[in-house]
Amino acid sequence: MAIMIAVPAGIAANQSATQNLTGNLSNTLTLTEATINQTLTQIDCSLTPSAPSGFGFSGNFTPGQFNGGGRPDFNFTPGQFGGGSGIPGEFGGGALGGGGSNPMNESLYADINSSIPGVAAVAPILTVSEGHNVTVTFGDRSFTRMVADYIIEGVPLNSSIIDKYPILPTNITSGRNLLAGDSGVVVLSENNSAYFGVGLGDSVTILGQAFEVVGIHGTAGASDRTTLYMSLSDAQTLTGNTGEVTTIEVFADNSEDVTAVSSAISTMHAELDVITAQERLSQLQQQQTNYDTQLANAQATLNQTQSQAFEEIIVAVVATSLIVLFVMLYTVRERTKEIGTLKAIGFSNRTVMSQFMLEGILLSLMAGVVGVVIGSVAAPFLSSVLLPTVGNSFGSSFRFVGGPASTTAVTVNPELMLIGFGVSVVLGALGSLYPAWRASKTRPAEAMRYE
Amino acid sequence: MSELVLKMEGVSKVYQLGKRNVNALANLNLSIKKGEFAAIMGPSGSGKTTLLNVIGCIDKPTNGKMLIDDVDTAQLPESELYKIRRNKIGFVFQNFNLLPYLNARENVELPMELTKKSKSERTAKANELLATVGLSGREEHRPQRLSQGEQQRVAIARALANDPAIILADEPTGNLDIKCKQEIVKLLANLNINQGTTIILVTHDGQVAAHTERILFLNDGKITREKEGLHLAKKNICPYCKAKLQPADEKCANCGKTVRFRKKPSAPVVSETGKNTPA
Repeated sequence: MAIMIAVPAGIAANQSATQNLTGNLSNTLTLTEATINQTLTQIDCSLTPSAPSGFGFSGNFTPGQFNGGGRPDFNFTPGQFGGGSGIPGEFGGGALGGGGSNPMNESLYADINSSIPGVAAVAPILTVSEGHNVTVTFGDRSFTRMVADYIIEGVPLNSSIIDKYPILPTNITSGRNLLAGDSGVVVLSENNSAYFGVGLGDSVTILGQAFEVVGIHGTAGASDRTTLYMSLSDAQTLTGNTGEVTTIEVFADNSEDVTAVSSAISTMHAELDVITAQERLSQLQQQQTNYDTQLANAQATLNQTQSQAFEEIIVAVVATSLIVLFVMLYTVRERTKEIGTLKAIGFSNRTVMSQFMLEGILLSLMAGVVGVVIGSVAAPFLSSVLLPTVGNSFGSSFRFVGGPASTTAVTVNPELMLIGFGVSVVLGALGSLYPAWRASKTRPAEAMRYE
Repeated sequence: MSELVLKMEGVSKVYQLGKRNVNALANLNLSIKKGEFAAIMGPSGSGKTTLLNVIGCIDKPTNGKMLIDDVDTAQLPESELYKIRRNKIGFVFQNFNLLPYLNARENVELPMELTKKSKSERTAKANELLATVGLSGREEHRPQRLSQGEQQRVAIARALANDPAIILADEPTGNLDIKCKQEIVKLLANLNINQGTTIILVTHDGQVAAHTERILFLNDGKITREKEGLHLAKKNICPYCKAKLQPADEKCANCGKTVRFRKKPSAPVVSETGKNTPA
């Protein structure tokens, strides 16, 4: 009985983990793709980061959370797609390995705007994360990584840029957005507002300097939940990066020019990591294909586990009914004289039958209670032995939650307990049907037999 | 006392053993009056148990009429017969057949479970019946803590639970020692005298049968002989000539035969010193 409870518990846990993962991935991809399509003319330029590029998932994965980022210094809240120095309302640069944390002197790249044809605007942006280190342990490995408490994003408050191009938060929920020429003011995200404990119109102290909160932005993209916006010069002064930026956003005149502009930038500044939104889109699409494959694999593994477990359940159910049947048959046979006596003193067939049915059901209900208790204690251990580990089917670059850790998530929840009790009642009734009928047909004369 | 509680007319019961037909009961006629204390005797295979089963509605007769309180049970389906068994018949078995996991009172309450009596009524009745059979104070005891004689008393109390028309006792003393046997026979005789219970007793034991008022001899499925027993004297009737007796009479005034035995003088008690001292 314990195994019967443990197996479905394990399946349910793996299933829900996979379903959560599937849901998250598709949400994130849809969201990101939509954002990218809005900004097809955009080209990100930043210094090639020292951290390895490429999309990577690492760290501990709990259902509902997708943890990622090319660099280990970004925090992701559930359902969030990794982001870094990207522009609000966009996919994060870090997620695609573009990286932007290496500051560069903005004046060095003034020639992008002046000498490359087809460039409509250039927006230098400084992104700095502020946070604290945490140590994350999963499996037998542990990582120390920085969790960003907030991300300061300094954007040039120049009306020729901010009026035309989407570099400011797009979803202002209260107050106003940043305006050209603003200084000493910030627009916080809702998360920032909670983190600092300030609201609209309050003064907030960031890195020792006071700013006025003029607006609160809601989450538009996935990457800006902890991003606060201020003017570029404020950000440079505040973080000690005077004259430096982390990303130069280049906007082409139209989407046909994007390829030509980006190759021109690459030729001019070979040290820059130049990536167009279109490239990101195709990269993302490639990623999506990869995910689809991986999800299909996971689904296949899950299906296999399920069908295997289904077979196990069928075997367990049949075995249980047979055990109840034989135990009850033995009981009836052993108590023939007693049944005969009951019938001789006036018990009807129906009463005798219902007595034995009740006995069988009670017996297996008690077994069900014992089974649920044992099952809830033993399920995690049993499932790690009995169930295949889903994580093994994934490549090393993609750590799917759940891998070896998935089995620890197996618990026996109340629904499962109810199912367990229900199944034991049904099996008890099923198994004692025939023995009870046999008992009811016992002739009262059996009571007369001398032993 | 002339009302018939049991009337069997031309009852036969045929068993098929392989290809052979066995006539366990062959055209048997039997009437039992209300308040009668009858014994059925006979050799093994004479049909005693079959007769008892037929009377107790455990077996159906092949032919004939079986009237219990004027209801022909030979015609009733099983769905009605269990009610007759519950309400009209009280069984006493050789092996007592008490349920081992129930105490004395619960065993006695068992036949009342399916009647309209409330729980408290049932308990009161069970306690009363246990007192009748001399087991006051033993209500909570389970069968394994009672002697065999006591177990049979519980079984008798259980048989009386639904005030049945007939008590059917199948070798009730068969498993008991002499002392218990006498106690049980006396108990049945007293129930018959004091409460007018109709009792049919099947026994091998001539001594036990002699204490009833009517002894029926069964042979090859027929009642071949009938005799009066000593129990009649307790009802102040001479067992030999049916003349009316006076309660104090030791001999029948009509036929001169001894109908009551004077108590034997007590045996002298032997003391530890070996000297005989009068009791």
